[in-house]
Amino acid sequence: MFWLIDVAGAALFAYGIADGVGALVGARSPEWPALLALILGATIRAGAVLLVHNSAIRSAQQVTVRWRARLFPRLLGGRIARPLLAGESATLAIDHVAAIEAHGARFQPVRMGASLSPLLVAVITAFASWVSALIMLGTMVPFIVGMILAGTAARHASERQLTALGELSGLFVDRVRNLPVIRHFGAEERITRQVTGATREVALRTIAVLRTAFISGAVLEFFSALAVALIAVYCGFSLLGLLPFSPPEHLTLTRAFFALAMAPEFYLPMRRLAAAYHEKQLGEAAMEALDEAVPDLPDTPAEPVSAFDGLTVSGLAIDWPGTRIGPLTFTLGNTDLVALTGPTGSGKTSVLAAIAGQITDFDGSVTTASGGRIAPEAIAWAAQRPLLLPGTLADNIALAAPDASREAIRAVAERVGLGVMLTERSEGLDLMLDHRGSGLSGGERRRLGLARAILSGRPLLLCDEPTADLDADSAADITALLTELGRERCVLVATHDPVLTEAARAEVTL
Amino acid sequence: MSTIGNMLSWTLDRPTKRLIGWAALSAAVAALSSILLLAISGWFLTGAAIAGAAGPIVAMGFNYLIPSATIRLLAISRTVSRYGERLLSHRAAMLAMAGLRGRLFGKLAAQDSRNAPDLSGGDASARLIGDIDALEDLIVRRPTLPASLIAAVVGVVLAAFAGWRAALVLAIALAILPFMLRMLAGRMTRQPARDAAEALGDLRTRYVAYAAARAEIAAYGLADRVDADLTRLATRLDKAQAALFRGEGAIAALLAFYAGLAVALVLIAGAGTGTPEHVALAILATAGAVEAMAALARTAFRQASVEEGLRRLTELDSLEGEPVRHEESDAAALPLRFAMHEVRPGDRIALTGRSGSGKTMLLEGLAGLRPATFDIAVGGNALADCTAATLRDQSSLSPQDAPMLAGSIADNLRLARPGVSEDAMWRVLAIACLDTRIRNAPEGLDTRLGEAGGMLSGGERKRLSLARALLTERPWLLLDEPTEGLDAATEATLIERLKQWLDTTGTGLVLVSHRQAPLALAHQSLAVESIPRLQAAAITPPATE
Repeated sequence: MFWLIDVAGAALFAYGIADGVGALVGARSPEWPALLALILGATIRAGAVLLVHNSAIRSAQQVTVRWRARLFPRLLGGRIARPLLAGESATLAIDHVAAIEAHGARFQPVRMGASLSPLLVAVITAFASWVSALIMLGTMVPFIVGMILAGTAARHASERQLTALGELSGLFVDRVRNLPVIRHFGAEERITRQVTGATREVALRTIAVLRTAFISGAVLEFFSALAVALIAVYCGFSLLGLLPFSPPEHLTLTRAFFALAMAPEFYLPMRRLAAAYHEKQLGEAAMEALDEAVPDLPDTPAEPVSAFDGLTVSGLAIDWPGTRIGPLTFTLGNTDLVALTGPTGSGKTSVLAAIAGQITDFDGSVTTASGGRIAPEAIAWAAQRPLLLPGTLADNIALAAPDASREAIRAVAERVGLGVMLTERSEGLDLMLDHRGSGLSGGERRRLGLARAILSGRPLLLCDEPTADLDADSAADITALLTELGRERCVLVATHDPVLTEAARAEVTL
Repeated sequence: MSTIGNMLSWTLDRPTKRLIGWAALSAAVAALSSILLLAISGWFLTGAAIAGAAGPIVAMGFNYLIPSATIRLLAISRTVSRYGERLLSHRAAMLAMAGLRGRLFGKLAAQDSRNAPDLSGGDASARLIGDIDALEDLIVRRPTLPASLIAAVVGVVLAAFAGWRAALVLAIALAILPFMLRMLAGRMTRQPARDAAEALGDLRTRYVAYAAARAEIAAYGLADRVDADLTRLATRLDKAQAALFRGEGAIAALLAFYAGLAVALVLIAGAGTGTPEHVALAILATAGAVEAMAALARTAFRQASVEEGLRRLTELDSLEGEPVRHEESDAAALPLRFAMHEVRPGDRIALTGRSGSGKTMLLEGLAGLRPATFDIAVGGNALADCTAATLRDQSSLSPQDAPMLAGSIADNLRLARPGVSEDAMWRVLAIACLDTRIRNAPEGLDTRLGEAGGMLSGGERKRLSLARALLTERPWLLLDEPTEGLDAATEATLIERLKQWLDTTGTGLVLVSHRQAPLALAHQSLAVESIPRLQAAAITPPATE
């Protein structure tokens, strides 16, 4: 809307110019009103620019704040359709949101301006010279036809260009990341030739594509210049009295000059729109990607939960890019220890996530032994790299049981084998942790995750690779602890450690 | 602006500079056409009005043919030259960036892994792409800078028709403007640009850490706490971005106001001295000349955000060295020494130790992938004194994380040995127990892996990496957890085939494995804890020259 104020400023400015020149022809000095109109017009335009920018970024950020409020909880802690890599998740929640902000701040305001401003310019011009206003509107028709013709070609062309460039960046990043191994195999020169060849080829193809893509810009440029030229020629001949037809309106220099000064304003909103085209495309693509990744799920009324009395998984299968995990059928008793085995990357973590109800796209069913729904509050999770929130060690152990007493926290810490660490460090349970967990070893982090899970008191414990990357002694400690836990609750462990698998009552293989 | 100019010059070769020259010429013609179109139209209108008022005789005598033809010509030349400018400047940028990507890659590839800049992380490589994109944007805009200067000069010349005072006023106004733009841009954007970059980096790091712990956050219902923590960082980012965007608005506003001021001043200055049609010419030229300065404003505005990235690129580009063609040499096998423990060529040794004792680092150091952290010698020379070529010729590593290039299975095997025959590929795949799996893959050896392995499981990637390492036929094979994730039966087959291959080729082996079965391959074993660690100061590898 503020761009309409800009049109008012432009009109005032045009009036200042026209009146100033008109005064000169009348052999007078330009009068105060003309100078005032010039300065005031320019000030209004400057003010409009400031207002547009301030309100645009504010409303754009209101939109992104809503997106984040929807994305962060869903992507980081809610149910999602399929498992996501941390990097993919960050692209969705950070880069795509940034594209939406740019869309809102740069494209939205000019889009609103582009439909109304030209009409307003024509209406204002009509007061000085309605024929000039007609000329403006008249150029609009072939302009729109031209844009439709050029626009379709340009859109296809630039979409192809974006894909090609995306792939090129992908290749470049992939090769740069793998440089150590490329050097190790003595392939520097070959891969350099490959990268150079590919980048050059994509550049040449893109240039060919841009030839068509830029035509729409040229169409805009041409009609914008044409409007100025036609108005200048019409007004000039009209003032000379040399029009080949009887003049339909009486023009003075001031009126003619005003129409001329307004002529470039007619196409200005469209030029602003064209300049924001890239933001429009990226923003729309981002919204589409986000809607697909985090669809607005209707809140289906959840079936009532039943008390946990064991785990029954039947026919569980997950579609994985290129392959399918499962189907798996197995049961766990109320107190049990079962190992879920399979090679790294075979989907063990995804199976655990499906059992925990964190992903939605899977076949089969996951229920309690008596066939009821498992309450989310019945499931504890011990991760390979447990979550650390900034705070003390005690806070972090008690994340899932904030009301736990200090004695209970200490007891559980000692039970998982963190006792030595507590006595070695003077801060004990008050040791401050940052989110990177600086100061904790991999083994200590693993134990912290287990302590948290035990303290939560939840009857079903899902453990993801509890012994991976640990030396034999540490792994044996953890295995012993899990065996003990399996006597007091239901424990499902994803692992490829044969010792741990041996200790389990049963093995489920992927 | 000059600093950016200096930073840019290194990346542009002669043909690109010529293209930019042509683009600048087109931009200048476009800017001139724009100014002249309005200015001549104004002059024509005023002249026509005066002639028309003087009566039909004078009007008939007014030469309208030339101005009206010029106006139409300018409309066309503005269109054509603007199109030419966009096409040429994009062409220059695209070709320059293609050249830069290739050159940069070559320089990075020619570095010694032991002291090369580390770009293996996703963040580092994403930043590199961002920097290159920013540079491309700069090159696209570069031709508009000389064009705005030419537009300014022409504006002043046209203003001179209305008298020297008008010309002087405009000249001064245009001369001050770039300084005002730079000052305002510096004040309004420098700090927010820095804050925004920092906040974005923090947000991303923290987000990725949380995304990796997603399962726990979901299980314990911690999303609110995590969301609050991230929102705090996001708010900081938003604040900086908003300040940056408002700064951009302030610069645009300055330009809009300045146009009005300059026109008013030129009008006053010219009113006494020029004829009405010349003053009309002068004020419309003034408006056009100030508008042509928008390119300067944009550059001034982007300066703060771009400088940092350009500096990083300049640093990378100033690395020495060119990638050289490396033939697999039949280098004689050299003995290895781990602390006091000698291992002769062809011997097989297993390195044992607790997790975290540095076994993987040791293997990577021996392969020349990272600075040596243990007291190890190759052919009697400490690792740090060996050239990268020596280390490479001696050993072939199958690393723990089994990195694969995005490409086909065959591409990844050829990485180790260009021009290797399909038969040879199947032979090593058979040793790695992977031949059946790949024969069943949709396109056999030409199946694409996609980024980060894609269709292969972690264990399968590991075996593909083993097959690749076998192809080099270098004296020492370095294996890091070669059978992780394998079932016992396949593991046994793999070890049996590998043993046969080692026996036949007489290749030496350095093995690291948590699992028991592969240890049977080794003749001897050594605890990593018994090899002294090097002090940090001792691990500067020799320069690559």
